[in-house]
Amino acid sequence: MLRKIFSVFGRDIRTSMRDSMAIFIIVMPVVMAVAITLFTPGLNDTTVNLAMLRSDDPSHITYMEQFAKVEVFDNIGDIEKRVNKRDAVAAIVPLESGYEIILQGNEPDMVENYTVMLNSLYELGTTKEETTTTMMSFGHTVPPLKTMLVNMLISMTVMLAGMLIAVSIVGEKADNTINAVNVTPLSQIGFVIGKSMMGGLVAMGSIIVSLLITGYYDINWFMIVLVGLTSLILAFVVGFLQGLASDDVIEAAGNVKMILLPVAGSIIGYELLADKWQWTMYWSPFYWAYKANLLVLSKQADWPTVLLCTGMVLILSLAVYFLALPKIRKGLS
Amino acid sequence: MISVKNLSHSYSNDEKLAVNNISFEVTKGETFGFLGPSGAGKSTTQGILTGLLKQQRGEVIVAGYNTMKVQNERFNKIGVSFEQSNVYSKLTAKENLEFYAKLFDVPTRDPEELIRLVGLEGKEKVRAGEFSKGMKHRLTFARSMINNPELWFLDEPTTGLDPTIAATIKDIIKEQAAQGTTTFLTTHNMYIADELCDRVAFIIDGVIKLIDTPRNLKLQYGQKLIDIEYINNGKVIKETLKTIDDHDRKRIGEIVNNYDIQTMHSKEATLEEIFIQVTGRGLV
Ligand SMILES: Nc1ncnc2c1ncn2[C@@H]1O[C@H](COP(=O)(O)OP(=O)(O)OP(=O)(O)O)[C@@H](O)[C@H]1O
Ligand SMILES: [Mg+2]
Repeated sequence: MLRKIFSVFGRDIRTSMRDSMAIFIIVMPVVMAVAITLFTPGLNDTTVNLAMLRSDDPSHITYMEQFAKVEVFDNIGDIEKRVNKRDAVAAIVPLESGYEIILQGNEPDMVENYTVMLNSLYELGTTKEETTTTMMSFGHTVPPLKTMLVNMLISMTVMLAGMLIAVSIVGEKADNTINAVNVTPLSQIGFVIGKSMMGGLVAMGSIIVSLLITGYYDINWFMIVLVGLTSLILAFVVGFLQGLASDDVIEAAGNVKMILLPVAGSIIGYELLADKWQWTMYWSPFYWAYKANLLVLSKQADWPTVLLCTGMVLILSLAVYFLALPKIRKGLS
Repeated sequence: MISVKNLSHSYSNDEKLAVNNISFEVTKGETFGFLGPSGAGKSTTQGILTGLLKQQRGEVIVAGYNTMKVQNERFNKIGVSFEQSNVYSKLTAKENLEFYAKLFDVPTRDPEELIRLVGLEGKEKVRAGEFSKGMKHRLTFARSMINNPELWFLDEPTTGLDPTIAATIKDIIKEQAAQGTTTFLTTHNMYIADELCDRVAFIIDGVIKLIDTPRNLKLQYGQKLIDIEYINNGKVIKETLKTIDDHDRKRIGEIVNNYDIQTMHSKEATLEEIFIQVTGRGLV
């Protein structure tokens, strides 16, 4: 049985590598990951960048260097030039009384808050040694925008696995080969597992590569894989259904794209709905998967929460699976 | 090998039957021809016997398995060649057979040998998508032999092939029969049926009209005929006369005695002529 499943898997991989649509689907997440890396601020800047004047009080500069990366400039003109560069830099310039903070305007709020706070602490005379307050609230090491984008990319990659399966099914339908496989000892379930393995492995591979490209090395990988595999179930069901319902690749791709709507809806719901309205998204497995992944990516995940989220994904996906099963069985025979 | 009792099938699940209450047996080692015009229900019957179509009414035992139950392992003993070729266009000829071979639990034949057998040598590494219709058909046919089937279903194995290749395919079927393979051969080509089959069934409009050996059919329905060409007043005249008809026999004598004979052949009624005689319909 296992050998047969692997044969189906191997054939599907081989065929996908010869199909331009499939290659596009496989490569797309990686390209997106590179794009996210290029267009969002660096992940490993764990502190805020500051620009300061050389004429400033040396103890001020030293103080700030404890908490931020400080660049020193000779005059206000150079400081303004620096602040206006693409990355996020805040400048602290002494005035006659107090300080002025100069921003380009497109920095994350956190940069502004952090700079203001740091400077207040200096003015208050608090030292790192004697403070009882921790700076953990500023412990976001990754710009939230980037985490959000990467998380969206994961959701998309999972759905692409479905599209890959749909493309493969459409190919089998065009060649009329499902009949040929149906008169071999390979069982229908073996056929389904083999194809799902192809979609699943490609998607998990893409997710892992994308996370490495975007720089999420020290996250809990077990959690990522667990959430990924669970949310793939739904992608498989969608892939088989759409593949069987479509007559050509374009139609299949279009049909699978339709499913991106609830995915996008769930993400928007999670990000924008107030806490008291979050329950309106509980029906969506995509919502739970997105939530779990966000916690893992921002390193705020604990097992109970992740297990709750995956449990919800699993239950909702299995419900869809069992609803769709008769249709899939019929389509494949 | 095959036992079919009161099998009926309706695609629309109503009284419109594509196969209407047919019964027959195929014994081990036999080559059984299933003959009928287009739309007669041949492919439908093969579809049910191979489990591709859901069985509705009747009882079918194939290679010892009741087709009502889902038992995939029965396909280790069965080979199926389809009316419409169905191979993976993105895989080469050899990859197609290799993939298929891995799906069986029994010893399988060497893909390259099979490719050679159906005259596709040199095309092993060509993707099936680049094959002509006839080439795909041959690959489908070759694939059906990969598991050394005891029971072999062939739906129109020679249709659309040029005469030389059709002859090759016929030889392969004969060779398999000689080795004891049971074959269920679906065709509307009477010459092939005549040449290959131990017994034939005539099916029309979903009903089996008769089942017998080609020889018996010819003895029963065929009459010996004589074609004579002779010259009368400088013109060539052709007549076909029956040897069992008194009037015709006298006429043969007259012609032989009075005219210059050009050609004279005796011939048997073909299976096709018998089919028309029995069913009142042609084979197209
Ligand atoms: N998928 C289908 N859906 C509905 N009706 C069908 C289907 N396939 C076949 N039929 C009908 O069933 C009848 C028998 O068709 P079948 O394909 O068995 O004929 P056949 O004897 O194999 O003909 P041919 O020599 O053309 O292959 C025909 O009237 C046909 O229209
Ligand atoms: Mg047919």
